[in-house]
Amino acid sequence: MKPIVSCKGITKVFGKGELAVHALRGIDLDIMEGDFATLAGPSGSGKTTLLNMIGALDHPTDGEVVVDGEALGGMKKAELSDLRLHKIGFIFQAYNLVPVLSARENVEFVLRLLGVSPSKRRSRSDAALAEVGLQGMENRRPSALSGGQQQRVAIARALVARPRIVLADEPTANLDSGTTKELVDLMYRLNQEAGVTFLIGTHDPRVMEYSKRHIEMIDGQIESDTSS
Amino acid sequence: MMESLKLLVPLAWRNLWRNPRRTFITLIVVSIGLWSILALASFMTAWIDSSRESTLRLLIAQGQIHAEGYLDDPNIDHLMQMPDAELEVALNDPAVSNWVTRLELPAVVQSEYKTLPVTMLGVDPDAERRISSIPAKVVEGRYLESMDDDAVIIGLNLADRLKTALGRRVILMVTGSDGWLEERSFDVVGIYDADSGFEDTYVFTGRNAMQKMAKLNGEISQIAFEVPEEEALPGVLETLATAAPELDVREWRKLSLLLGAMDASMGVTIYIWLGVMMVMVSIGIINTQLMAVFERIHEFGLLRALGLKPQHVLTLITLESMLLIGLGVLIGMLAAALTVVGLSDGIDLSAFSKALEAFQSSDVIYMTINPLDYVIFPLAVWGIGVLVALWPARRAAKISPVEAMRHAT
Repeated sequence: MKPIVSCKGITKVFGKGELAVHALRGIDLDIMEGDFATLAGPSGSGKTTLLNMIGALDHPTDGEVVVDGEALGGMKKAELSDLRLHKIGFIFQAYNLVPVLSARENVEFVLRLLGVSPSKRRSRSDAALAEVGLQGMENRRPSALSGGQQQRVAIARALVARPRIVLADEPTANLDSGTTKELVDLMYRLNQEAGVTFLIGTHDPRVMEYSKRHIEMIDGQIESDTSS
Repeated sequence: MMESLKLLVPLAWRNLWRNPRRTFITLIVVSIGLWSILALASFMTAWIDSSRESTLRLLIAQGQIHAEGYLDDPNIDHLMQMPDAELEVALNDPAVSNWVTRLELPAVVQSEYKTLPVTMLGVDPDAERRISSIPAKVVEGRYLESMDDDAVIIGLNLADRLKTALGRRVILMVTGSDGWLEERSFDVVGIYDADSGFEDTYVFTGRNAMQKMAKLNGEISQIAFEVPEEEALPGVLETLATAAPELDVREWRKLSLLLGAMDASMGVTIYIWLGVMMVMVSIGIINTQLMAVFERIHEFGLLRALGLKPQHVLTLITLESMLLIGLGVLIGMLAAALTVVGLSDGIDLSAFSKALEAFQSSDVIYMTINPLDYVIFPLAVWGIGVLVALWPARRAAKISPVEAMRHAT
């Protein structure tokens, strides 16, 4: 199996001199196609920073990130935007939908950026919403949806463009146990049935229970990387 | 590009109404700013047009012809002959709607109580009725009947200062062609009502009567003329100057410096007000757009993470500004047009008539809509407003997604 993401010697330093913070200290990591991996560790361990590097949202101070065969170093902002659009799906913490767009429009947004025709947009976004159990709620705005429903919309949005990998950063933060379980079940099912690759940054044990591969980070380094 | 606009325009429109209060405040700022500019332009144009029309109709007309040197030293030594055939042809051209000959000399008027310096005007009453408003301003008695009419009409204020009245006699003195002081008494047959400065200055009599008094052989001091359209004036001036190269042909702007300055300063005044309003509107726009942008930095980060390019963020915020300011501009235009229509019965300035007397404008000002103003000023407000809003838009477009997403929602 070939890696979808490959990190080699990634370091990230914020600030300079005595105030410098070493967020990542030489990360070597491959995420393989079909992985359902969790990236765990205490706050400040570097999970979000690493996800940002892999998601082409930030540049490493040193080292190289390759996503689906494309090295991110040296890419222009617009090229990075294209890469995110075509290859990466994001699920962030709650409250990350566009509030003036309905559930369907939030999902369609990515398809519109991709230039998908209106009829295909509608069918694909409705299918994605149905997949996450939101059939009949397509026209609701985020303010009319619960936290769990909003995260389902975010999952539908992350998946609708058929990305090579979905990066989720604390997707269950602010959610109750029942909703968390529903969401993790959903992501796991998508991984099992549709073969979607997930890398989930979390310190929620309820999420880690599902992971087939568990990566533990401490102080900007990978402490352990175990598969079950 | 079209596909991007199809995505971003509806999003920009919805974003406008996320914070209706702020949107309404910006709309009010923009629309009041533009309304004030357009309303001021309409009022100033109407007021200055009225002032110009009234002043020119009083005596100046739209141009005058004098002998060289007369305007610098307006006395009997700088008179001219009646127009020759060539000049008469030019004056009778359809491009000139009316013209009149006058004899104007410095004089002294004397009543039983007072002696005052005045300007004595010998006029052709029939021609004056076509070109001047003075005949219609006679409030007591009558206007002059013919060029041989050897009576005088004087202003209300002068009559008051001389302590004379209709039916009484005054003595007028002018320097005759032989250099001697000529004097004779005239019946006051009419009293006119203009502004007090004009009333104090001008005394009218028949032209032939005045020429006879000054021992002249038909000489005059001026030809006043008017044209049907102001736009035709430069061409008429050129034709007349060609027909009478030895004479001094001048337009009204050079005959009434106050009026000329008012006319020239009108545009400047409106543009100064446009500048003041634009500074205020710009501050309002920058303020609200900065707030609107910084409140949504996290969201811009999210959109960037989803694949929106920096130029799309710039376009989105610029579209919001274009729509918001455009809407404000439309409201401002509508409000200004409604103001003009609502005041179609005229603005009554009679309460200020004494203070505004020097400007000669009517007591009632009728505002009109100048279509060009409704193109230039709205475009200027819209264009400058959008330009100003580019600054917050550029800042939002430049910020990196990860940095933007660190901002709290």
